[in-house]
Amino acid sequence: MANTIKLTASDGTPVEFVDEVIGSGAMKDVYFSPDKSYVVGFFREKQDANAKDRLQNIVGKYREKIFNQVGGEYWDNLFCWPTKLVEWNGRLGIVCPAYQQQFFFKDGMFKGQEKQGKWFASAKLRNKFLTPAQKGTWLSHVHLCLQIARAVRRLHAAGLAHSDLSYKNVLVDPETGRAAIIDCDGLVVPGKYPPDVVGTPDFIAPEVLQTRSLKIGDPAKKLPSIQTDRHALAVLIYMYLLNRHPLRGGKVNDLDAAKDEELSMGEKALFVEHPKDKSNRPKIKNMAPSELPQGDVDKLPYTLCGPYLRELFDRAFIDGLHNPALRPTADEWETALVKTTDLIQPCRNPDCEAHWFVFDNSTKPRCPFCGSVYTGQLPILNLYYSPAKGKFLPENYRLMVYDKQTLYMWHVNRFVTPNERTRDEDKKPVGDFHFHNGKWILINRRLPDMWEISDSGKRQIKVGEFVELTDGRKILLSGEDGGRLIVVQLVNN
Amino acid sequence: MRRLPVYLLLDCSGSMFGEPIEAVKNGVQVLVSTLRQDPYALETAYLSIITFDSSAQQLTPLTELSAFQQPNIQASGCTALGEALSLLAAKADSEVTKTTPDQKGDWKPLVFIMTDGEPTDDLNKGLADFKKGKWGMVVACAAGAGANTDTLKKITECVVSLDTADSATIKAFFKWVSASVSSGSMKVEETGVEAATLSELPPPPPEVNIVL
Repeated sequence: MANTIKLTASDGTPVEFVDEVIGSGAMKDVYFSPDKSYVVGFFREKQDANAKDRLQNIVGKYREKIFNQVGGEYWDNLFCWPTKLVEWNGRLGIVCPAYQQQFFFKDGMFKGQEKQGKWFASAKLRNKFLTPAQKGTWLSHVHLCLQIARAVRRLHAAGLAHSDLSYKNVLVDPETGRAAIIDCDGLVVPGKYPPDVVGTPDFIAPEVLQTRSLKIGDPAKKLPSIQTDRHALAVLIYMYLLNRHPLRGGKVNDLDAAKDEELSMGEKALFVEHPKDKSNRPKIKNMAPSELPQGDVDKLPYTLCGPYLRELFDRAFIDGLHNPALRPTADEWETALVKTTDLIQPCRNPDCEAHWFVFDNSTKPRCPFCGSVYTGQLPILNLYYSPAKGKFLPENYRLMVYDKQTLYMWHVNRFVTPNERTRDEDKKPVGDFHFHNGKWILINRRLPDMWEISDSGKRQIKVGEFVELTDGRKILLSGEDGGRLIVVQLVNN
Repeated sequence: MRRLPVYLLLDCSGSMFGEPIEAVKNGVQVLVSTLRQDPYALETAYLSIITFDSSAQQLTPLTELSAFQQPNIQASGCTALGEALSLLAAKADSEVTKTTPDQKGDWKPLVFIMTDGEPTDDLNKGLADFKKGKWGMVVACAAGAGANTDTLKKITECVVSLDTADSATIKAFFKWVSASVSSGSMKVEETGVEAATLSELPPPPPEVNIVL
C-alpha cells in the first residue's frame, strides 16, 4: 500500500494524495486523493515564474471570474477546473476535482475507464466495441456538442483559450448528453501566457502545424489561441455528429506517412466534403468494414446536420480553414446547435440507432441514418419576430413539431435564450404539442397572452385551451416585446 | 484509416528461462490488455510478435488488437538477434501497407526489442536488412546486466536498460511501452509528427534507464 502524502496548498488548505501515479500526460503525473474526490497532478518539468504565475491565476483570478458569479455553479458540470496549487519535492502541482461518475464506463468491456470523446467519435470504436446504450442517440450527441460549445464560449468570453481541445480533453457521456472540459491548466491568455502544447493530432489548426518547425519567438510561428480553439471545436462537433474526421480523406500529399500527415492536416488541408474540390473525398474501397457507413460521405453527407450547422461547417472547413478570422465562434456554434434541436424529429423506425434526425426540408422527410421515410402529416412552425408593432419578419428559425413535444420560453420570446443565464422560471415548458384524434394541437399551459390571428380578427387561446395546427394558421405566442408569431406549415405525405 | 503497426522482438534464449520469460509473457499480456482499454490504440494499433532463440520466428503476424491471442512463448537456445532483425524487415515489408499516390498506407512501424544477452549470430547481415526498412520509433531494451547496450546502439538511438530482468521491472517496461503506443498532446517545441526520439515518449518508469 502506497503512502499518503499530506501537503498544504498555496491557499493554506490541506491536500492529501496517495503516492502512486494513476496516469501520466504530456506534462504531468497524476495522483488520487485518499477518498478519490480530487486528483493532484505534478508537472514533471520545473515550471518557471511565468508558468507559476499563470497557474496561480488559473486557480485564482480566472476561476473566480467564471465560477464566483451569479449562475457560476452551472459551470461546475461543464469544466473540471483546477482549484489549488501545491508544491512537493520541488515540483509544482495542481489540484482538480475528480471526474463525475457518468464520465466513467459503468459496465461492458471498458468498465471503469474514462469516457474520452474518442470512443464516441470513431466509427470503428462505435461499430465494434460499444453497446447501444453507451452510444446514446444522435440527439444526445447534439446536446453534448452544445455543452462543449457553451463551455468554450464561456472561456473565450473571459479572454482565455483552452489551447488543447481534443477528445482526450473533453469527456462526454452520450447516455445523458453531458460533456465536461478537463485539463484546463494549459489555458492560454493571449499576449500574456504562451501555450505549452501545440495541441493534439486531429485538432491542431492548419496554421499551427504549418509553422511548427519555426523557432519559438519567430513572429510567423502560429501558436494555439482562441482562433485555433475554434478550429478544434468545429472538428469536435463534426466528429461527434458524423464519426469521421473532416480533413482525413483520400488525397495523398506525400508518400511518407509522417510528411503526408503534416501536409494533410496543415498546409494542404482540404475539407473531405468540399463541394467543388473533390480531390480529398474519402475512398470507400480503402476502408475497413468497421469504418462504414459513417466513412461514406455520399451516404451520410454533412448536410444531414441541417442548415444552421451546415453553414458553420462551410465557414469552418472551407472559408476559414486557412483563414482563421473567418471561423465561426463558439457562440455561433451554440446558437446553431440550439436551433438545430428545434429541427429534430424522432425516427419512426424503432430499430434506428440514431433515433433522431434533422428534418431535411423536403416534402418526403427521410431519416438519413436508417432510410425510413416519414409518413403522415408533419407540422412545421416558422417563427417570426416583430421589429415594430404590428410588423413581423421571418427569422430563419423553425420549430419542427412531434407528438408530446414541448414549447419553451425561448421559442416564445426572442430575448430569452437557453443557456446558463436562463431563469428557472423560463426553464419550465409553456405548452405542448400532441397528435390527437388525427389532428395536431398545441395546448397552452402557461402563456397569458397567446392569440390565434386571422383575417377576420383575433381570438385568445387561454391557459389550458388548445389550438389546432392547420396549414397557414398564425399564432401570436406573446404580445410582449420580443414576442414571436408562428406561422404553421403542414407537410402532407 | 492508417494502421499503426507495432512489432515486439523478444529474446527467448535459454538465459531467459524461468522468471524472466514468465515476466515477458506476463508483460505481453499486460501490454495487450492495457492497449485494449485505450481508444486510440484500439482504433489503430496492430501487433506482431517475433521471438528469437537459436533462430527467429514470427509467433503472431500483424494482428488487430481486439483479435490478438497470446502466443506460446518458451525460452531455450542461443540469441539469434541478427536473424530476428532480418525477419522483422521481411515481415514488415509484406505486412505494412505502403502509401501509393492513390492510397494512404500505414504509419511507420514502432519496434520494441528486448534482449538479455549478446547476439550469437551475425548481427551485421540483420542490421543491413533492418536499415533498409522505414521505421517509426525503435526502442531496444537491454534486460539485466548480460545485455550489451553498445550492440543495441547499432540498431537504434533509443536504448534503455533494465538493471534486473525480474518480473516487476519487466512489467514496468511493458507498461511504458503501452503508454508509448497511445498518443497524447504534443509539446510546442517538438518537430515531426511521428515520435522518433526518446524525448517524445512518456518518461520511462524509474526501473528503466535511458542509455546515452
